Amino acid sequence: MPSDTAAPVIRHEALGREHFLLTLECPAIARQARAGQFVMIQTREGRDPLLRRPMSICRVVPGRRGRIEILYKVVGEGTRYLSQQPVGAALPTLGPLGIGFRLPPEGSRPILVSGGIGIAIFPMLVESLRAARRPTPLLVYGARAGGDLVALGFFRKRRVPMHLATEDGSRGTKGFVTRLLEPLLFGKGRVERPEIYACGPTPMLRAVGEMALRAGVPCQLALESQMPCGIGVCLGCVVRCPADERGPIFRRVCTEGPVFEAGEVQM
Amino acid sequence: MRRKPGRVGRRRSVRLVAGPTHPRRDGVDLSVQLGPLRLKNPIVAASGTFGYGTELAPYLDLSELGGFVTKGLSLKPRRGNAPPRTCETPSGMLNAIGLANVGVEAFLSEKLPALRDCDTAVIANVFGETQDEYVAVARRLDGARGLAALELNLSCPNTEKGGLAFGVSPPVIREVVSAVRRAAPNLPLIVKLTPNITDVAVAGVAAREGGADILSLVNTFLGMAVDLRSRRPVLDNVVGGLSGPAIKPLALYMVHRVYREVGLPVLGMGGISGAADALEFMLAGSAAVQVGTLNFFEPAGSVRLVRDIEAWCRRAGVRAVRELTGSLRIPPGGAVAPPAG
Repeated sequence: MPSDTAAPVIRHEALGREHFLLTLECPAIARQARAGQFVMIQTREGRDPLLRRPMSICRVVPGRRGRIEILYKVVGEGTRYLSQQPVGAALPTLGPLGIGFRLPPEGSRPILVSGGIGIAIFPMLVESLRAARRPTPLLVYGARAGGDLVALGFFRKRRVPMHLATEDGSRGTKGFVTRLLEPLLFGKGRVERPEIYACGPTPMLRAVGEMALRAGVPCQLALESQMPCGIGVCLGCVVRCPADERGPIFRRVCTEGPVFEAGEVQM
Repeated sequence: MRRKPGRVGRRRSVRLVAGPTHPRRDGVDLSVQLGPLRLKNPIVAASGTFGYGTELAPYLDLSELGGFVTKGLSLKPRRGNAPPRTCETPSGMLNAIGLANVGVEAFLSEKLPALRDCDTAVIANVFGETQDEYVAVARRLDGARGLAALELNLSCPNTEKGGLAFGVSPPVIREVVSAVRRAAPNLPLIVKLTPNITDVAVAGVAAREGGADILSLVNTFLGMAVDLRSRRPVLDNVVGGLSGPAIKPLALYMVHRVYREVGLPVLGMGGISGAADALEFMLAGSAAVQVGTLNFFEPAGSVRLVRDIEAWCRRAGVRAVRELTGSLRIPPGGAVAPPAG
């Protein structure tokens, strides 16, 4: 059952100019968290911004303290206020929320596809895969520029093979992640029994989902959405799904997601 | 144009809703009476912010609330608008959900049974695109065990009258309220007013004449947001309803005005996020209040308000919270009507 708690900031580390790694102490959330789930965080005291921000649970910190890490990028007002929160501040934090990732069947090789800050959802998945004795995943990771590729150390330390791309070509292959993914699904050196896990901007998710369907590869997409409540009551965060005879179907990203199978949603 | 006497007695029963009718241990009596509707305390969760009640059960004890209002119910299930449906604004948010709901039949068979033991007032919110739809939904709910009242949402577009909301035309309000009143004689009838009208008191009088027992106000204010970069409206529906602390002064004024002008018990709402907000609405004339957007950013916020109101009353030496209703101290000569210009 999700818990709503004033979680103290234990560490708050800047990773470059716009990225931050926030450590919160919230044992009830840490104990229950699963890969792919999220929390709703109030970014500062008061009523402006009014709504909490949904944030992927990046990782549960090993140990008994019950700490979680949140990796985020400053993209607007809410995240800017969050980035100013000092160690010791208590942030109202609600979670864990949502349905997380489904782990792959034994023998499958997970391919993690990340665009930009979508990387924040994957450290916990890497650890869950390892705990479940699944093969080490591959990481396909793209961003605008080399400086936006963060948390590489985490994956390197766990020997996750990385395929990097940047839009400006400043690091790795120049272009989008789909350029790196394609040979892994269709090329000569293609991965045997792959299962894709993707998180990133909507156009990327759309492209990855389509590619996976074309290759007949199972693919889970972790969606982002404007999310006022996170608990399924406001109906604000819905995603369009394939229509039936009565018209379009909408599903809540917060409680029916944020992870959906490719083909289940139309972004 | 006062209510006709003896109308209340026509009903089979007047429901005394759950909860202690005697003062609590510490001496503060939080119970309130709104015409035929009794609530154990003045905090009611607003329609569209509380699902069908059970969604909030992990975060709070429903029995601690005065009551809650369900998501608006229509005759047939509705799936609502395409996304984006919401947008945050300064101290508020816009929504254009499109009245998505499970429909009255699924509510009765799947949602209501789970609520019968929750020991709080369950109020069903009703809307329709035609008067006949309002009547059909209300009639279906009238006999249902476990409901404390109906609330009519008059902000729905009237498809037979060119899509204007029911609540902007006094004759239409009178007609739809009186038709629902006849269709559902056994339940207290709350009429929820839209603020998107020149004078909300005129709408309140029309609802009273149609047979409303209680007025709830305000629903959201129409608003919109524009994305400068794409030069497009943020909401797929273009227009949405504004809620949250941003609208509190507007709503407070309307509650004040309706309380003075209409003479029905008022369930006030609009941007309430703390006990002080709720108490201010009570001073302005609310017998009880609804909290809406608060439920989004603090799921247990409504029960926090109940506790904080009790603590405030204890500190202020208020023995019964109902004494506060309408107790605003207006200096001599203080205007009730809007200032000209």
